[in-house]
Order: sequence, then structure tokens, then C-alpha cells
Amino acid sequence: MFKVTIKGILAHKIRFLLTGVSVILGVAFISGTLVLTATINKTFDSLLSNVYQKTDAVVRQKAAFKSDIGSVRGRIDASLIPKVQKTDGVAAAVGNVQGLAWIVDKKNEALNSSGQGAPALGFAWINDSDLSPFHLVDVNGTPSRAPTKPNEIVIDKNSAEKAKYTVGATVPVITQAGRAEYKLVGIAEFGEQDSLLGATTVLFTPAVASEVVGQPGKVDEIDVRADPGVSQTEVASNIKQTLNGEPRIEVLTGEQIVKDSQGEVEDQLSFINIFLLAFGGIALFVGSFTIFNTFSIIIAQRGREMALLRAIGARGTQVVWSVLVEAAMVGVMASAVGFVAGVALAVLLKAALAAFGADIPTSDVTIPNSAIILSFVVGMAVTVIAAVFPAIRAARIPPIAALQRVGADQSAGTWKRVVTGLGVTGLGIALLAYGLGNALAVVGLGALVIFFGIAILGPTIARPISAVLGWPIQRIKGITGLLAEENAKRNPKRTSATAAALMIGVALVVLILVFGASARATVGAGIDQSMKADYLVTSNSFGPGTLPRLLEDQLRDTPGVEQVSGTQKNFIKVGSSASEVLGVDPAVVDSLFDLDVSEGSLEALKLDGIAVKRPTAEGKGWKIGDVVTVQFPQGGSKSFTVQAIYDQTRVPQIPDFVVSTDAFVANYPNTFDSAIYLQTKGGPSPANRAALEKTLKPYPNGELQDRDEFKAAQSAQINQFLAFVTVLLLFAVVIALFGIANTLGLSILERTRELGLMRAVGMTRRQVRSLVRWEAVIIALLGAFLGVVIGVIFGWVLVRALKDEGIDTFRAAPVQLVWVFVIAAIFGVIVAIWPARNASKLDVLQSISTE
Amino acid sequence: MTATAPTPVPAQTAIARAVNVSKIYGTGDAEVRALDNIAVEFGMGVFTAIMGPSGSGKSTLLHCLAGLDRVTSGQIYLGDIEISGCNEKQLTLIRRDRIGFVFQAYNLIPTLNAEENITLPMALAGRKPDPEWYRQIVETVGLANRLKHRPNELSGGQQQRVAVARALVSRPDLMFADEPTGNLDSKSGAEILSFMRGAVKDLHQTIVMVTHDPIAAGYSDRVVFLADGHIVDEMHEPTADRVLDRMKNLGE
Repeated sequence: MFKVTIKGILAHKIRFLLTGVSVILGVAFISGTLVLTATINKTFDSLLSNVYQKTDAVVRQKAAFKSDIGSVRGRIDASLIPKVQKTDGVAAAVGNVQGLAWIVDKKNEALNSSGQGAPALGFAWINDSDLSPFHLVDVNGTPSRAPTKPNEIVIDKNSAEKAKYTVGATVPVITQAGRAEYKLVGIAEFGEQDSLLGATTVLFTPAVASEVVGQPGKVDEIDVRADPGVSQTEVASNIKQTLNGEPRIEVLTGEQIVKDSQGEVEDQLSFINIFLLAFGGIALFVGSFTIFNTFSIIIAQRGREMALLRAIGARGTQVVWSVLVEAAMVGVMASAVGFVAGVALAVLLKAALAAFGADIPTSDVTIPNSAIILSFVVGMAVTVIAAVFPAIRAARIPPIAALQRVGADQSAGTWKRVVTGLGVTGLGIALLAYGLGNALAVVGLGALVIFFGIAILGPTIARPISAVLGWPIQRIKGITGLLAEENAKRNPKRTSATAAALMIGVALVVLILVFGASARATVGAGIDQSMKADYLVTSNSFGPGTLPRLLEDQLRDTPGVEQVSGTQKNFIKVGSSASEVLGVDPAVVDSLFDLDVSEGSLEALKLDGIAVKRPTAEGKGWKIGDVVTVQFPQGGSKSFTVQAIYDQTRVPQIPDFVVSTDAFVANYPNTFDSAIYLQTKGGPSPANRAALEKTLKPYPNGELQDRDEFKAAQSAQINQFLAFVTVLLLFAVVIALFGIANTLGLSILERTRELGLMRAVGMTRRQVRSLVRWEAVIIALLGAFLGVVIGVIFGWVLVRALKDEGIDTFRAAPVQLVWVFVIAAIFGVIVAIWPARNASKLDVLQSISTE
Repeated sequence: MTATAPTPVPAQTAIARAVNVSKIYGTGDAEVRALDNIAVEFGMGVFTAIMGPSGSGKSTLLHCLAGLDRVTSGQIYLGDIEISGCNEKQLTLIRRDRIGFVFQAYNLIPTLNAEENITLPMALAGRKPDPEWYRQIVETVGLANRLKHRPNELSGGQQQRVAVARALVSRPDLMFADEPTGNLDSKSGAEILSFMRGAVKDLHQTIVMVTHDPIAAGYSDRVVFLADGHIVDEMHEPTADRVLDRMKNLGE
């Protein structure tokens, strides 16, 4: 029996390759993701072991809380350094200071200030070659040395090359202390690398570092080297004893700190992993439709062969197994190819990341076992499961069919199918509705079940919709259009299963489009409603911002400026929720950016008052006057009173919590401004703008925007994210398109005689191609139509569900939806090229004599 | 009139001619001469039957005459066009506009109804049939009340009648039929042959039919006998019995 299967596979190599394509692409996505994240992980692992290679113990503050970007902790007193130094077994103890510092190049551009790429870091130079991860290198024979005077710095080799600075050059650097010029006395490498994963690095003298990137009298951590013969555990426990009684201090051995840091990196990467794997899952889900379809068609075409096997004594189960073994073999081969393609994909992605400035300095690709195992398990499972139904159908072919002509399966809309389809769709909707209030995973499951439901209903709706879609084509293309439409309608199960695969991809793309349009509309409306300032200086980056606070004063002195107010941003934990907090000047904020306070007043914020966004306050049940526990990275828990509740939920810049700038500065020493709002005399004008640009010239990391520019920048940010997601979804769309090509290719085999006949009575090759092409277009449009309908509904549900998150304006994005149809039709034409060529090249005489 | 060697050109003008046509399959030892230096003409308004035992080359001759297959040497003319010198695209257009076809079975496109099948070649050319002629054809083949039916809703005989109507609807120079009754019961077969006979007699069409059935050949005006790739005989005003006798001599 298996011999028959294997011979069958060998006889139809191309067909199996095409079937495999859907699995190959899905598996490639999954293995590519796993290989890429493993490679990044490994890179960080070796980087961290390298950094702490000769560090035997580390003293730092305990994590205050965990935020989206990992553990948040404050700095410790520099006065602990001599205490640690004097501890038994300590050979050396150095204070490590780190913060942000932007190198300005000769064109007055700040390196790494775009936000998405690697950060711009500033450190204290550590004069202990064992404890410092940086070491000096001589470039082109110019000797490097450590910074010794306040105006001396060392920068990383990569930045020096990018900005074309050599030793001896004067380098402007922007820090929390403003812009200052330093003398470049050395160039450093990080371990063996030119830079720290693409980050720019400025190394100051320790005193200057705590001034400009840290906090005077504080260090981020104390790194310790033990005396020879003293173990890490021993020196760490000695230090613990010395520091006994110091609040919120932890002492880790060198090994522990490496492990801890690796864990933090892994946490961050696992988020990316899950995110990317979800798209791999979608791709495979779409692929399973293609596989299901291919096997259904193959079995229909081999109906006689199956019946013959039954007639000569094969049992039904043997037929089922023969199909499943066939599927398993396709699965194994496709998984193997997919896995290899995934490794190649990971290499490509790595190169793409490097192009974006996130340099992963390793030529090795790490292939984790999980990538190999998951590739094969998932690839096999998807293929075999998708083939189960066709296999059972194959076993149901009666032996007598061997002697009969097997006609096309034209069945479409039985009542059983309609009831089942509606039932499954209903179940999906119920899951979706339940999940929206509760669990995201249930939402995903609900969407999955809805797709299944629609796919079951597919054959019943495929005919009427194809007729509607085919009508204009028939008008334009005449008889070939009519034939294309009839071909699309002749086997509704096949047409709808092919279209269903595309439907899923399109539905998700449309969901993203609708969500994006809604988000843009919401944010736009929010900015219109609340932005009162004439201008805004933004720092185009995540986190705490990049604008030195003294910039506010310089702007205040600029001619034409009437009012200036900076806002600050950082992480905070209020009650049990870690979130971002915004610092504002309560006196003026409403006249510059209206937070839409509905209860209480911002005036009352003072040093221990907090304002809360309405949905959050309602969720927590907080009222004006309630006292909440607030944790700042530095300084432990404090009690704050809820003084105001605001309703501005539409602008993502406004986080869940707002405190006064006074309270902010008291708890986040040496902060940056994240944005500065400006009111000018006479409103926005070229003169005002020119004056402001002049003041901002030394700060190329800040960007001046008026209201419209601000809105455009926000839209652009949303678009960028959505474009990224859409690109990931294109994998699923491409798989579905291969599915259309595959179905058409197989259908053409079935219709050989018919095509031969049409050629004999005078159909030109061009007309044959057109016939196949328009059938592909109808299938593609059918998939696009179903996808658009579902996508818009999903989008509406999502927007409704996100009402509390601020997205309260639904936009169906009609223009983009028209484009979806146009692009689907174009893709239909493209994927039809190959089957259409094959169909047009059929030999007329051979075709008409085909059985 | 008894069977003799190939006679000179019939009295009517020839619409199709094969001039020293050979068709060779394979090379060397595997070489098969399906047609060996054949010269034959087909008169306008004549119903010609081509007969011969299996492997005699009769189907090959029909395919070559119809522009479905290429000759190895010699020329095929349709009117004054040398179709043996035409390219694939020209041949397709000639088949569409100047030639009608009826095959043994599966003549129709299953997704099109009878009417659409009949007008398919014209639709492919982007033309509408002459309504008077169309009505006449449809009436002659007796399909007036079956036009909206799909092929799977028609009997085998009805399907062949649709095929004959399709072959004639564009008023072709020549209609080819390849065993048109081979899959039919004798009653339906007789109907089809009567229609073809009528099309030649009353509508002045020209038909070339390949058959191995002496009864079918009996409906024709002229029978050309083929054996081993050669034209071995010809008979005018045949009857089924005479054809049967001649065929026995040819060894079938």
C-alpha cells in the first residue's frame, strides 16, 4: 500500500512541491523567528558574559518594579564605594555611571536620535581594565588615552567612524546638562566590537559622568574585583555583611548578575518571539486551507485509482492511511525545506536589523533545538491534520466508482452545511465576545473559529458571489469572461476553500487598515481637541525623552515666545499597575494641552498629588481624595492623593498617570523633558518659527512641530507600526495566492479535454490564458470580498473593545478597501500566469483524446 | 459505378486539397508513415466520408486537413490558403472562422448551455450569428426547446445535435466530423446523419466525415478509402452494402 503512495508522490513531483509551498513558507517563518531570537539571545549572552567577565560582585539597588522595558531601579550612594573597597577580599571597587548622551556630528545631526534604533549612551570611564568593558584602541596610529580632564571624552569606534571624528577633534555632546563641547582623547572598542550593538557611547571622567549623565553623589552600580584566591560567593557575602542595614541594596556575584541580565534580555525577546510566532501561526493556518484543498482535489482526480484499490481488496482504513502517509511525507519534506529557508530568513532579517542600526555583531547563526523540533512537528501536524478530511472522503469512494466516470462535485448548499456553518460561526462570535472582556487568547480562538465557520459556509455563498463578481468581467471579456465565471462556479467547494485561504489573510490586513484609520482619526480628533499650544518641541524617542531641561529657559528667552512648559515622562508603579507617568506644570498645562479634567483640579497636584485617566480610575475604583501607594524607581513607596481625573484618552502621549513637574523632578532626579509646549505671540508664523529654530539649533535631537505637523507625526508613527504588521501578514497572503495557483493548476489538469476542445473550435492561446486569468481574478476577488467583510467587522469589534483605551472613532478606510480589491485582482492575474501558460500550451490533439 | 483507382478532380470546385501529403511519426526503426504521399480533393457542397481500417491514417488525414495536426511534407489547402504553411495562431483563427468540428464524444463545454455552446466559436471571434441562419440551424437539428439546457441535461443524441449546430452556425467553408455517431445508439446516429445529409443538400454545406461504420458512410456522396496511409479507392453515390463489401476487401 505504501509503495503505491510513494510511487504516486514521485509521479507528481511538481504538484507536491506546490502543495508543500504553503507549509514551507509557514515553517520558514517559525524557524526563522526562533533562529533569529536565539541568535540575538546568544549574542546578548556572550556580550553580558564578556562585560562581566572579570567582575566578581555587583552592588546595586533592588528593582523597584517591572515595567514594559524590564526591571526599573534607582541609583545608589557613591559613599558606599569606599565601604565596599575596604571589605575583606575586595581588590577593587568602582562606581559605574550610565545615562544618555548624544554625539553631534559635523553636520549638526545627533547620532542615534531617531527613536527606533539603538540608544545613545553615556558612561563614566572606569580606570580598571578588568572591570571596564571598554578598552582603548589606536586608530591609524593616533594613540588613544583615557579621559582625565573634565572636558575630555572617549567615544566608541563605530561612532567615531560614522561621525568622522579622530583623536584630537572637538566633539559636541548633548546631555541632561545641555550641549557642551569636549575634546576627543581616545577611541574605544567594546569587547571585540566597534560598538555596543550599534549604540553610540560617550565615556566621560567619573566626576563629569555623574554630573551630565548620572546624578552627583550617586552611581548606578558598584563593580567589584576580588582578591586572588577569593571566590565570588565569598566576596559577595563579605560585602553583604559590610552593607548590612543599607536600605534596598542587593549584592550579586558576577555569575548571578550575568544570569539576571540574560534573563531580562530573554524576557524582552520572548515578547518579540511570541509576537512573530503568532504571525507564523497565521501563515500555517492559511496554509492548512491550501493543503486541505490540494488533497481534496487530488483525491477527486484519483477517485478511480482509489476505487480500484478498494475493488482489489484495500480496506477503507488502508485508503485513509495511504493518504495520511502521503500527507506526512509532504509534511516532512516541506518542513525540512521550510526549516532551511527559515535559517536563511533569519540571516536576512539580521542583515535588515543591522541596516536599521541594531547591529548584532556575530557571523554565527544560533540554531536552537526548539527551531528544529517545532519546524517538523508543526509542519507535519498541519499537513496531516489538513489531509484527514480528504482522506476520509477518499475512503468513502465506493469500489464501483472504478468502473464509472467520476463527475465534478457540484454540491454546494446543503441545509446541513448551512446549519453547521452558521453554528460554528456563531460559536466563534460567542468566543470573540467573551474574550474581548477577558482574555486575548480567547479572542484569537474566536477569530479562528469564525474563519472556520465562514469557510464551511463558503460553498453556499461562493456561487452567488462569483456570479456577481463575474458579471462585469463577462460584460467586458465576453465569452472568456463567461467561461471564467462558470469555471469558478462549477466546483463551489474548491473555489470557496481556495478563496477562504485568501480571505483570512485579507481579513487580517483589513482589520489592520481599519484599526489604523480609526486610530489615526481618534488621535487626530484628540489633538484637535486638546492641543492648544502653537508649537511643540518633541524628542523623537521612547522613554524619558531627550531634551535637556535648561532648553525650557532658553526657549523662554526666545523672542516671540509667551509661554513655555515642559513635560516629563518615566515609569511609575501606582497600586499594582506599572505604567508611564507624565510630569506637567499644573498651572499652565490646560492652556497648552487640555487634559480634559472632569473631576478635581490639576492645581491641587503639588508634591504628593496624582491625576488619573478616567478608565484607569474607574477600573481601580479610585475617587478624588483617595490615597494611593506610588513607587518611584528611586526612593521607595510614597503615598499620593488622587487630586484629579482626566478624560483625555485619545492621545497616546498622555499616559494613565499625571503628576506635577515638581513632584516628578523630586522623584526622578536629573530628568529630561519629553516634550516642550510653546505659546507664541500672534500664533504660528514664519518669524516665530525662525526664532525658535535658531534657539533649537544646538539641539538637533529635538524637533519643532506645529499642530498639523504633530498630527502628521502621530499618524506616521501609527502607520509605521501598521505597515510592519501588514508586512508580516503578507506571508499569509502569499501562501493563499500560491493556493490559488495550485488549485488552478490542478483544475486545468481536470479540464484538459475541455480546453483541447475549445482550442479545436477556435479559442486562441491568448483567450485560454485570459480564461484562466479571469477565473483566478474571480477567486481572488471572492477571497478579498469575504476578507474585507470580515475584516471590517473585526475592525469594528476591536475599535469598540478599545473604547476604554481611547480609540473611540471608527473609520472603515473605504479608499484603502478599494485598493485591497484592486491589489487582490492584480495578484489574481499574477498568480494565474503559470497555470495560464500551462493551459495555453496544451497540445490540442492530445488534449481532445485525453480520457 | 464500381470502385476504381482515385479519380481526377470531381466536377465541383475543390474547397480543400491535400497535395502529396505525408505524415511520419517517430524516426529510424520506430518510423510510422501514417500518411504516405496522399493527394486528395474535397468538392464544395459534397458530403465526403473517409473510411478505412484502424491505423489506416483516416483520423490523421482529418486532423491534418483541419489544421489540428501538422504534415511532415506536402501541402494542405483550404480554398486558396495553404494551411500547412500557417502558424499556430493563424490555424486557430482558421479553425474558428472557416472550419466546423464534430468529435465522437465530449463535444460540449459542460459549463455552457446548448445555445452558448452553439455560438461558442462566434463568441470567441466576438461576433454574433446571423439570426436567420441560426434559427434555421436550430430548427433543422430540432433543438429549439432545449437551448437553455446544459450538456448534462441532454441525451447523447441531443448533445451531438448541439455539436453539429455549433459546427455549422458560422457557415464554415468545411465541417469535419470524426466518428460523429460512434458513441450513439443507431436511432440517434441515424438522426445525426440525416441532419448532416440535410445540411449538405438543403443548406449547401460541405462535410468531411471519418467513420468506420458503412451505414454512416452510406449517407455520404462520396467515400474515400484509406489503407496503410494510402488512398486505395473511392466510391461515389455509395450505399451501406457496397461500402461494406469494399471494406471487407480492405481487410476489416
